[in-house]
Amino acid sequence: MATRNIIEIKNLTKVYDLGAVQVPALRGLNFNVEEGSYTAIMGPSGSGKSTLLNILGCLDRPTAGEYHLGDDNVASMSDRELSGVRGARIGFIFQSYNLIQQLNVIENIHVPLFYQGRDISDFRDHCVKLADKVGLGDRLDHRPMQLSGGQQQRVAVARALANEPLMLLADEPTGNLDTTTEQEILDILDELHAEGRTLVVVTHDDAVAARAERVINLKDGLIDRDIRNGKDQPKAKEKPQPAIITSIQLSEEDLQTVPANEKEDDEKIRVKVKLTRKTNNNPGAAQED
Amino acid sequence: MHGFSMLRIVQVGFKSLRLHKLRSGLTMLGMIIGVWAVITLVAIGEGASHDAQEAIKALGANNVIIRSVKPMSDKTQLQGREMQWETIYGLKNADAVRIAKTVPGVIKVLPILTQRKNIRHGIRDEDCQLIGTYPYYPEFTQAKMVAGQFLNEIEEAQKKNSCVITRTLAEKLFAGHNPLMEDVVIGGFESHQVFRVKGIIEERSDQDKMPKDKEVMGRTIRSNVFIPLSTFKALYGIKNIDRSVGSLIVERVDLSEIRVEFGSVEEVMPALPLLREALDKTRRGKVDYEFQVPINELNALRAQKARDTRMLLYIACISLLVGGIGIMNIMLATVTERTQEIGVRRALGATRVDITVQFLVESLMLCLIGGAIGVAGGWGFAEIRHHFLNQTTIVTEWSVLVAFCLSVGVGLAFGIYPARRAALLDPIEALRHA
Repeated sequence: MATRNIIEIKNLTKVYDLGAVQVPALRGLNFNVEEGSYTAIMGPSGSGKSTLLNILGCLDRPTAGEYHLGDDNVASMSDRELSGVRGARIGFIFQSYNLIQQLNVIENIHVPLFYQGRDISDFRDHCVKLADKVGLGDRLDHRPMQLSGGQQQRVAVARALANEPLMLLADEPTGNLDTTTEQEILDILDELHAEGRTLVVVTHDDAVAARAERVINLKDGLIDRDIRNGKDQPKAKEKPQPAIITSIQLSEEDLQTVPANEKEDDEKIRVKVKLTRKTNNNPGAAQED
Repeated sequence: MHGFSMLRIVQVGFKSLRLHKLRSGLTMLGMIIGVWAVITLVAIGEGASHDAQEAIKALGANNVIIRSVKPMSDKTQLQGREMQWETIYGLKNADAVRIAKTVPGVIKVLPILTQRKNIRHGIRDEDCQLIGTYPYYPEFTQAKMVAGQFLNEIEEAQKKNSCVITRTLAEKLFAGHNPLMEDVVIGGFESHQVFRVKGIIEERSDQDKMPKDKEVMGRTIRSNVFIPLSTFKALYGIKNIDRSVGSLIVERVDLSEIRVEFGSVEEVMPALPLLREALDKTRRGKVDYEFQVPINELNALRAQKARDTRMLLYIACISLLVGGIGIMNIMLATVTERTQEIGVRRALGATRVDITVQFLVESLMLCLIGGAIGVAGGWGFAEIRHHFLNQTTIVTEWSVLVAFCLSVGVGLAFGIYPARRAALLDPIEALRHA
């Protein structure tokens, strides 16, 4: 089945510049997300999950590589253009709901529309429909403080749908919820998937990932496993960036301090080399973020 | 920026301000007090200056008043006939005639002779100023008659015992009943004479807005009694006898005052040297008169008022500056407090300009609402003072305009930094902010 790719990512790299040390969080990712798919991105902390989320959400720009969202190459956009893309193409669902406290349900749903220059008086019906869809049609005038966590997250889902975005991008959408409400939210996400919407969920919760048709596992800034409908996909050939790039030339001696049996593990080498640097030169210069 | 979205920003800003009513109120307080103070102070200053200008105008802007003064040099000069201590000085009838004839631009000359006397009606008596003058006194000083008539030419010619009294004196002396055609006794050191009241006059500077019991231009203005100049001279003479502690002072003053009216205000200043020349001709260097030039005083007063106004504006600017700093402080705290909201808005599509505008509008609203309350308060206070406390207070349009513009300026100037700071937050960091 030939479906359009919503996301195309080529050799995506993100390096955090910490002065003397440059720490790569993403080391050259390659993957596509098809229209109407439901993808979960998983991985332990430090795997580059949050970095990938920020780049996918156009909140951050990659150091190198390409990121196509729809027809646009987002990687090279200005702050102003990125704001436009975020508002029009992406529907965010956050872990802590992030509703605006001084606005009521209907006004919160309207916020993304507002930044696209759409007046609430013309789009009130649209917002009411969305509130109905998430089951909050009877609480339009409530403030976030008057709603339960599950209800707030429903409002957030409705808000994410307001601009008919290309994809919904959820960050631990059920992280702050109990099991029952977690199921309710996941059911809503399932419904949205069934409607043909594209969903990308970043999570470390297996129960959440289980709902997705595809799970991308990240490890050390690279795709570790890419599982579709329970089956591992062949890994694309990736040419990983080195685990650490320093402005100081590492001597043979530095590398010798790493025990031979751990040499394969990039993560540990990183830690080891850092420790060496810390003790030798400038303590505090290369702190972990 | 679309029109409707500006409206929406204002609505949302209002909601944000309402979320912290106390804080918003306290922040506005600086603005309210500043604007309130500007408007009230300017109005009070304007009122006081208006009163003073009115008083000077009552003397007539195109008039010059020449007064007799006892010369400093020969205060104790003895005039040796029959052991009388007499001082002879001052303006003469001849001076008045010479001025009217020789000084160009002079339309009318009004001679006035004044002595302190006592006026009695029945059992009541009052100290008063007895003024002998010509029938055209009311037109000359823009005084208006409250009842009856002023003195006329016939009374002047026939030296009649007619008098006209001021309203305040009438109220005191007659306490309620009609003074017209009543007799009063006006007495001094030498003679007591009976006069018939034929009119009540209200002098222009004698209106109720005037500060009471105050000497204006060196002359008490309250209890004046007007009689024909000819009657004055015939009955009381020109000797003014004043008996004070242990001494008897006799002064011979022909005229206490000569008022000179010019055709226009412009003719006043150039004519002053000519007036002086006309008077000095017969005086051999003795200076026993002084000029009072209302137009000069008016100009001096206006200059003084401009200085006062400038000072008020400085004070206003300082108080508004303090208010502005308060607003900036609160807006900075608000930006920190609402960091996450800023992150969310950025994620939902807000550009940096959107965020800047949102926070700028909020600080502008604080200033405008505060400014409006200040204007209302200051204006209201001024009206109350004017109408209920009977003190002239005039709210000027420019003070309202200045106060309002300053509050908008302060809102923009002190709102821009917090707003920029909000806009330049990294959306990722802002979202992570708890």
